[in-house]
Amino acid sequence: MSDFPTAALDDLIACVGAERVLTDPESLQVYGRDWTRFHDPAPAAVVLPGSVEEVQAVVKAALAHQLALVPSGGRTGLSAGAVACAGEVVVALDRLNALSDFNPVDRTVRCGAGVVTASLQQFAEDRGLFYPVDFASSGSSQIGGNISTNAGGIKVIRHGMTRDWVAGLKLVTGTGELLDLNRGLIKNNAGYDLRQLVIGAEGTLGIVVEATMQLSRAPRDLAVMVLGVTDMGAVMSVLQAFQGSLDLEAFEFFSELALQKVVEHQDLQRPFETATPYYALLEFEQHSEAEMEQAMSLFEHCVEQGWVLDGVVSQSVAQAQSLWRLREDISETISRWTPYKNDIATTISRVPEFLAEVEAVVTEAYPDFEIVWFGHIGDGNVHLNVLKPDALPMDEFKARCGEVSRWVFEIVQRHGGSVSAEHGVGLLKKDYLHYSRSPLEIEIMRQIKRVFDPSGIMNPGKIFDA
Amino acid sequence: MKVLVAVKRVVDYNVKVRAKGDGSDVDLNNVKMAINPFCEIAVEEAVRLKEAGVASEVIAVSIGEKPCQEQIRTALALGADRGIHVETEGKVEPLVVAKLLKGVVDKEEPQLVILGKQSIDGDNNQTGQMLGALANMAQGTFASEVKVDGDKVNVTREVDGGLQTVSLKLPAIVTTDLRLNEPRYASLPNIMKAKKKQLDVFSPADLGVEVTSHIEQVKVEPPAERQAGIKVADVAELVDKLKNEAKVI
Ligand SMILES: Cc1cc2nc3c(=O)[nH]c(=O)nc-3n(C[C@H](O)[C@H](O)[C@H](O)COP(=O)(O)OP(=O)(O)OC[C@H]3O[C@@H](n4cnc5c(N)ncnc54)[C@H](O)[C@@H]3O)c2cc1C
Repeated sequence: MSDFPTAALDDLIACVGAERVLTDPESLQVYGRDWTRFHDPAPAAVVLPGSVEEVQAVVKAALAHQLALVPSGGRTGLSAGAVACAGEVVVALDRLNALSDFNPVDRTVRCGAGVVTASLQQFAEDRGLFYPVDFASSGSSQIGGNISTNAGGIKVIRHGMTRDWVAGLKLVTGTGELLDLNRGLIKNNAGYDLRQLVIGAEGTLGIVVEATMQLSRAPRDLAVMVLGVTDMGAVMSVLQAFQGSLDLEAFEFFSELALQKVVEHQDLQRPFETATPYYALLEFEQHSEAEMEQAMSLFEHCVEQGWVLDGVVSQSVAQAQSLWRLREDISETISRWTPYKNDIATTISRVPEFLAEVEAVVTEAYPDFEIVWFGHIGDGNVHLNVLKPDALPMDEFKARCGEVSRWVFEIVQRHGGSVSAEHGVGLLKKDYLHYSRSPLEIEIMRQIKRVFDPSGIMNPGKIFDA
Repeated sequence: MKVLVAVKRVVDYNVKVRAKGDGSDVDLNNVKMAINPFCEIAVEEAVRLKEAGVASEVIAVSIGEKPCQEQIRTALALGADRGIHVETEGKVEPLVVAKLLKGVVDKEEPQLVILGKQSIDGDNNQTGQMLGALANMAQGTFASEVKVDGDKVNVTREVDGGLQTVSLKLPAIVTTDLRLNEPRYASLPNIMKAKKKQLDVFSPADLGVEVTSHIEQVKVEPPAERQAGIKVADVAELVDKLKNEAKVI
């Protein structure tokens, strides 16, 4: 970066050491973007602080030189929240990766912001416990990133979002001060719970440096079923039927096209020969034989009702894992087509009507595009992925998708839904925020940001423009 | 042609096994059990033979305590026609299993017996071979391909450095290796149908076999914990440590 002042660079080096300030083109590329591919990364520098104090020092240096900061976790985000495309300084939390102070009584553990989600899951498992927030990118995403996006995933129906597992967190605000929020308490009604504001703030209020995460008991003997379902309405009927008498750990769905792509590219086996428009994947604990018997009779009921045509159930952990891959590998499989992703949600009861409308608009608007549907339908959340035809230039593709998004979001708005169920807003969805949030809500968000970050150096331009 | 497949109930392959506190055995309390992966492959192969019109009937047999009927039901759901459970108590060693299987072979007179090359709990890799000797049948072990051709079965075996194909006269015994096939999932409609399939239970006495034991398990212990690795500052330190601490150079 030619216009990046040497004095600023020197100050950053003074904060973290010369080896922890990266300016080589490759690092700028790597650290300048998340999983999305719609912006060209152009950060001025990347800093890798190794302690809370160093993070504070970096923020103070940024204040002094009026540098914009982009907090960066595992960069698996799907809404260009961790994208630095305007000469910002990327603050990567990779080095704050300690797991410490495990407390078996409280069932909590202290995590640096840079702890990889899968390491926390493994840490819990090694102690006979469970960290339930899980999704396909958990091998790379970080706790700081999960908190900042309030990540959801495949176990929300039973265990909730990341928000439900944050017992406390520490934040370095836009003024470089350190806030210690909630300190692991279960009950704490002493005033506003500022922790909740930070969760899902996408780095716009400050940098999460540490969190005390809650753990849970490990699930017992999980069985996975995949059912072939006739249509979207039937998917919801199946959900209702199963939820009525089983505690589901997961209820996911995907379309036939999604299945075809995954089977072809991941060398997986189809669950059964029958092809159906949609598939539902459900998971439940087997405390005894009773749950499986219950599930079998529910399956029979669903077949009798004409909702379900075929199905399988895992007979071993290995089979459960392979069945999960049919759902979990979709995102990665379709990434080769730089999909335009919509992550929309409404209340569960409105899903069938909502989806019928969305489907009608989308099939009308994209007769020539491949559309891959999947998602956490048990939470009322679908991922609508439009695949880019190889021949179509990126700009044209983006423009067409952006236009159709408006129609989709009008439907979302009419159903009181969300334009971003779990991926956040970042740069990608900020033009559409008003479909889910009132002008007053957005104005209050702006004011809150000013309180935490009066100079506007924390991930500026994400979620909304200051 | 009748095909007999043996299935064993074992600790699920993905479960981390733990030794009991007193070191007497592996702790099986509340541990997930499943069909032995090699047996699953055996069932798949038998069912494919049936689907190809080569086999007329597939019989799944399991030896063990009552719960192993679950694994027989799985085999039935995968496509076996009927099941046989030889009910035993406690651990039975490979020779006894082979003798019991010989009893079933005498009863059913199958043309082909397919077994896993080993079970992942005992890792003995003996039963198929012992059965071959007891029943005086030809055997093709570690099969990666099985082709029935008239009154013969051609078995391709995975051997060190390549493949070997043997031609066995039927009736014969085949033990399966990992690459023979990829087992299917048990479909829910087939799991329901399997509940109604015939499952006969025999005791060892019914088969004229006396359960004896020649092996005593002395001790079960987990592998030694690996020491955590260390980081060295430079090549000189590495060489020094290899020389003076590890004493490998
Ligand atoms: C294959 C795949 C599957 C996915 N599946 C799901 C899913 O099922 N559910 C789901 O919710 N998400 C899913 N995601 C999206 C993504 O993994 C999550 O949003 C995840 O929480 C992002 O974490 P990260 O560490 O990669 O964050 P990043 O992408 O690095 O950052 C995300 C946002 O958080 C900010 N941020 C990061 N660290 C900090 C910090 N320490 N302090 C302050 N702000 C910070 C960034 O500035 C950015 O705005 C998926 C992604 C992929 C690639």
